[in-house]
Amino acid sequence: MKRTWRFWLALWAGKFITMGLLVAGKKGTTLPGKIAHWIDPLIMRHLSVAYTDGIIMITGTNGKTTTANLLASIIRQSGEEFAFNQAGANLVTGISGALIQNTRWNGYSRASLALLEVDEATVPKFCEQVSPTLAIVTNFFRDQLDRYGELDTTVRMVRESLPKETLLVLNADDPLVAQFGTDHERVIYYGVERTPDSRSESQETREARFCPVCGIELTYMLFHYGQLGIFNCSGCGFHRPEPEILAQNVRLEEGLILFQVEEAPFTLSLQGYYNLYNALAALTAARQLEINDGFIEKGLREFIPQAGRMERFNLPDGEITLTLVKNPTGFDQVIQTMLGVAKPLRILIGINDLAADGRDISWLWDVNFERLGTHEASINQVICTGLRAEDIALRLKYAGVPVEKLVIEHALTEALDRLQASRAEEVAFICPTYTLLFPLRGLLESRQQSAGLSRPKTKAAGEGA
Amino acid sequence: MKFNICHLYPDLLDLYGDRGNILALAARCRWRGIEPVIQQASLGEDLDFLGMDILFLGGGSDREQGLLVQDLMRHEKELRKAIENGLVVLAICGGYQMLGRDYQMANGKKLQFLGIIDIWTIAGEKRLIGNVVVEIDGKTLVGFENHSGKTFLGEGVTPLGKVLFGNGNNGDDHEEGVRYRNVFGTYLHGPLLPKNPRLADLLLELALQRRGSHVPLEELNDSLEELAHDAMVKKLMK
Repeated sequence: MKRTWRFWLALWAGKFITMGLLVAGKKGTTLPGKIAHWIDPLIMRHLSVAYTDGIIMITGTNGKTTTANLLASIIRQSGEEFAFNQAGANLVTGISGALIQNTRWNGYSRASLALLEVDEATVPKFCEQVSPTLAIVTNFFRDQLDRYGELDTTVRMVRESLPKETLLVLNADDPLVAQFGTDHERVIYYGVERTPDSRSESQETREARFCPVCGIELTYMLFHYGQLGIFNCSGCGFHRPEPEILAQNVRLEEGLILFQVEEAPFTLSLQGYYNLYNALAALTAARQLEINDGFIEKGLREFIPQAGRMERFNLPDGEITLTLVKNPTGFDQVIQTMLGVAKPLRILIGINDLAADGRDISWLWDVNFERLGTHEASINQVICTGLRAEDIALRLKYAGVPVEKLVIEHALTEALDRLQASRAEEVAFICPTYTLLFPLRGLLESRQQSAGLSRPKTKAAGEGA
Repeated sequence: MKFNICHLYPDLLDLYGDRGNILALAARCRWRGIEPVIQQASLGEDLDFLGMDILFLGGGSDREQGLLVQDLMRHEKELRKAIENGLVVLAICGGYQMLGRDYQMANGKKLQFLGIIDIWTIAGEKRLIGNVVVEIDGKTLVGFENHSGKTFLGEGVTPLGKVLFGNGNNGDDHEEGVRYRNVFGTYLHGPLLPKNPRLADLLLELALQRRGSHVPLEELNDSLEELAHDAMVKKLMK
């Protein structure tokens, strides 16, 4: 397609605004994208032709950003340059902006590969102009803002707009995604054999109780989470496809997810089975890009998680894991993780009761702290901080943690000092509610930095502790 | 010695950490060498009110409350008799309302309750949510309320205490809860008993007296309980 004067005007306007924003100390791709798109509505098409190594599109309800970031982490390991719409700018304007940023004033692209996260509802508009080489579809869930029926429409629109020649990388375990493969030629599936928490019965609400092809209720042999699992339809024979990339031997260890794909072991420094799927999607795409397994392994292992989600810090007196707590289910999972370490523990729990934390702290009594009481022999100290420090201390007393092991310290710096004081072989965790997360994280980062230390690295699978 | 605590409808009435009240009673028994036996009774179960030492009724959502009122009605006669004979009852929020006469819903309909105590509840327009401090005999109780029903007491019915901070029964008359024989009805979650150990021990003492034991309860080290209690009083009453 011939580039017109509109294209050049749009590109230069976009570049000019991007530069202006940079001078003003701001980062942004949405505004330049918006202006450029206004000048040349076909800007995405014109820019996309430069990506001779391919355009990778990532869409679905959950995990788009994490999957894109995981894949970016892998590609960086391999050393290849790529265009990327980071920070979730996943609408037409954000995507155009990211492509403009990656294009020089003379119209040449800095990279020949693009990695683009695309909002589900934007997929039709995107695919009108851009034909992705490869499209990852993660999953489809209803989020709380969706009204009844909208999910089905979204799924249908995404499915109908994907070009025939695009290679689809599909989540085999989600019936809503797997159905895309029934009438598409170029498909590769990823999936999970089983997790330690896979069950034959589901207690959760699920999106796809019924076969997306014929409407009869699906039969599940195994549920992994939500509607994800191993299913088949007794009506039309639609079933969970056999995944080419299958995670086996999935296990959790010290806040990590370990798994194998055929013989190759992988370590993911993220928690939650949804992140296992994100990693598998990234891995599948990376293999299609012919990136070798060494880079994939390292890219997944060294991926830096979101702030305060089992985030690790290197401090002079020993490593600390920081993780947000906000509800009983989440806190129970953190307790399970802490006790799973099987080493003596020092724990700092910070409970605030500001609006963002929840004014009512009675949920602490629905957390199964009794497990800490039962294992109190392996707990050396619990430091309680925050506006409701006394309440969490009292909760722990009634859970069976000896009072001698409880310390109340309202000042955060002192609380952190107490956590690190005379630390030996113990493992340390910090569990704050929302408004304490960032103050504590700031303290941890500055202490790590002033000691000249860098973030701990995750050891490779099989490397040993 | 065994001490029988009955947690009624724990599967339906278990809001806002109310389970903590059972944990507190049980622990305070155990620390004194008394063996707590906790019965979790749900819909359709037989209840032996004479054999139990403390009955606990928690709070639930309106939908769940509607479900169990009928079941509770089966026990009305026996429960009334046991209460008249000194059964110790802690009833919170929805459980508290159900001991009264009725609940007048927003659409004007009345939901009949047990009518053991002369109190009634009217659906309110806004939820009363927040921390509460209540005064009883010069001492304080602290807790957290979260209710839309406004409860009123009949003539001669004694409130549990006077509201120093928060709303209490209805937000108008500065009264909170009810005390009738050995029944303690209140809107205070929190949970209530861990941070109010004097009330927890009062319940235990009354229950033991009902059994004919008049030995004073062994003192416990409540410094952490008092610290948590005082921190809230100080924070709210400054």
